[in-house]
Amino acid sequence: MSSTITKLNAPQTQAFDFQPSSELKLTPTPTLNTLIQKLAGFNTLTSALEYAAEGITGYNFYNAKGNLRAVLPYRLLKQNARDLAQRLLGFDLPRGSRVAIIADTSPEFVELFFACRYAGLVPFAMPIPVNLGSHAIYVQQLRGMLESGQASIGVANLDYVGFLEEAAVGVSNIRWVGTPGKLSEFPARNMELQPNHPDETAYLQFTSGSTKTPRGVVITERALMCNLQGIVRNGLEIKPEDRSASWLPFYHDMGLVGLVLAPMVTQISVDYLATRDFAIRPLQWLRLISRNRCTVAFSQPFGLKLCAMRVRETDLKDLDLSCWRAAGIGAEMIRPETLRIFAEKFSSAGFNENAFLPCYGLAESTLAVTFSKLGKGCKSIHVDSKTLIDKRVVTRLQADGRKQNEFVNCGRPLPGHIVKIVGEDGNQLSEMMVGSVLVQGDSVMTGYFNNPEETDKALKPGNWLDTGDIGFLFEGDLFITGRRTDVIIVNGRNIRAQDIEELAEQQPEVRSREASAFGINDEDGTTTIVLVIECRLTAATERQSLITRLQQLVYMAFGVNCVVELVPPHTLPRTSSGKLSRFAARQGYIQRTNLTGQLTFVESSDR
Amino acid sequence: MSENYNEIMQLLCDRLSSMTNTGVQVTAETNLISQLSIDSIKLLSLIMEIEDTFDVSIPINALADVQTVRQLADLVHKIKYTSE
Repeated sequence: MSSTITKLNAPQTQAFDFQPSSELKLTPTPTLNTLIQKLAGFNTLTSALEYAAEGITGYNFYNAKGNLRAVLPYRLLKQNARDLAQRLLGFDLPRGSRVAIIADTSPEFVELFFACRYAGLVPFAMPIPVNLGSHAIYVQQLRGMLESGQASIGVANLDYVGFLEEAAVGVSNIRWVGTPGKLSEFPARNMELQPNHPDETAYLQFTSGSTKTPRGVVITERALMCNLQGIVRNGLEIKPEDRSASWLPFYHDMGLVGLVLAPMVTQISVDYLATRDFAIRPLQWLRLISRNRCTVAFSQPFGLKLCAMRVRETDLKDLDLSCWRAAGIGAEMIRPETLRIFAEKFSSAGFNENAFLPCYGLAESTLAVTFSKLGKGCKSIHVDSKTLIDKRVVTRLQADGRKQNEFVNCGRPLPGHIVKIVGEDGNQLSEMMVGSVLVQGDSVMTGYFNNPEETDKALKPGNWLDTGDIGFLFEGDLFITGRRTDVIIVNGRNIRAQDIEELAEQQPEVRSREASAFGINDEDGTTTIVLVIECRLTAATERQSLITRLQQLVYMAFGVNCVVELVPPHTLPRTSSGKLSRFAARQGYIQRTNLTGQLTFVESSDR
Repeated sequence: MSENYNEIMQLLCDRLSSMTNTGVQVTAETNLISQLSIDSIKLLSLIMEIEDTFDVSIPINALADVQTVRQLADLVHKIKYTSE
């Protein structure tokens, strides 16, 4: 190891030789490991951790001011997780029982997650409350997940355990709720820890904020290991010099699989910033990347937008982002404009736009489905809007001046995975034709936990996963043109239309199947949620009270503002089976309000 | 309550007035959600200003119980001036 490399890779505060047991001052785990790097290829999570624990790398947690607050080397993680596992075994739960954990960005969450796997239990991560006034709705959301996941144990750090205790009241399966600290006071069992089988469930991933019908994606060890291997070998080509930085929440698939598990199965170090701290001061993330010479960091487009919005000229001179080789972008529709603005702002800080790495994926396929080419930046295609809308066919723009749409190239499927585009009749479409995106491969989920109905809707014969997204293939590369009407993305949050409608229907004035929610996009890409209600109220004050209440509820549950429109009964269009059509409801709203320039090709039927 | 409390309340009302620009007179009883439509980006900017001005850290879990300007002022005051 040359001294130059050592210096380049020395993370901040590591001024002298690495001293793992320094009591006075925390030292982040180094970038370069003492261990020969293995790029996934393990059978299970615990066997991957056993290997990583032989080295000196690991997880580092920073506070809002950018100071290191906790260090968790893989070696210590293994030790703590195995110890906690012995205490979990004391509950004598059947193998595969679920453990619900509120996932703040903390060492405790990671320790507990792995403790569950060592004990043969199935963890699932639950969100932290992020919205003003959300107390009551948040507790309901937690209860929905505890019930749907049939959790036996619920754990949360001190800040959140109160919410969890409230949520657990009356939930039948729950045996114990408490903090990691309390759990570690239970007696250890001193049993031999049984290895896990690749076919066993590794974890559940919840994908919806619904209080009534949350969906927990079941991911086996095999699916997880398959996806991780694709990500680190083919998507990112991870190398021994790599280091990650992340602000993504641990309860999201990209945060958990992409930035907690993928680094561990390649034994590289990660620097974490809590999501809240990033959201308030997004530049702290870039400072971490700059100071610790991080090479791999992912974000939703919204995160990049926040950075570009908040940066001042004076910030730029202290940043050196030239080390950032893979700036993964995913989790929502990518607008090339967002990336261009970011690249423009940060090029003087050494950011190389070729580092942009658009990808596509979803929790139902563990995390990643496609990756674009490493080091090539964001590639896009300009297509003619008219043929796109009229014929659902993509034609490359020949002449300037015609109305056009630009779509980002999300690249090719990971090895062993196939993407196909199908029409409304389910038949496969040829290249350049727009339709539903389906995925097949070993990363695809087993189903939604204890929810055969939703599972049947998502998994088609031949184990093809219907992603719910719309797109086309061109020269083998995937381009996403839109989400179906059942998912609305606002400021980086995925919100299911059904969950909003469900909230509305809980109001005494609203009957079931008389509410329809959808998103409307501005010219600049901002999405507004519209909630249309069929309403029998006539008094102006009652109508206003309903509107205000609904707006408040939607805000508390999802942290977004929405437009509420009250319409007379029988206004909302229904399908022949009496189901509301969100697509038609949205078209109707657009006509009533004379909105122009709304994209009409993004939808097909609701899943 | 104390001078400190009034200072916090004053700052919150001033900032919220200019931030939301809805013409709503912001008082202690104003509801941040239903009356001011504070979206997530505005909320983040407000928290940043509060933290920078008063040198405090607002725990995210506490915001779940905040709906009015008074509740927000109470929270900031509690964090700033009471040591647990």
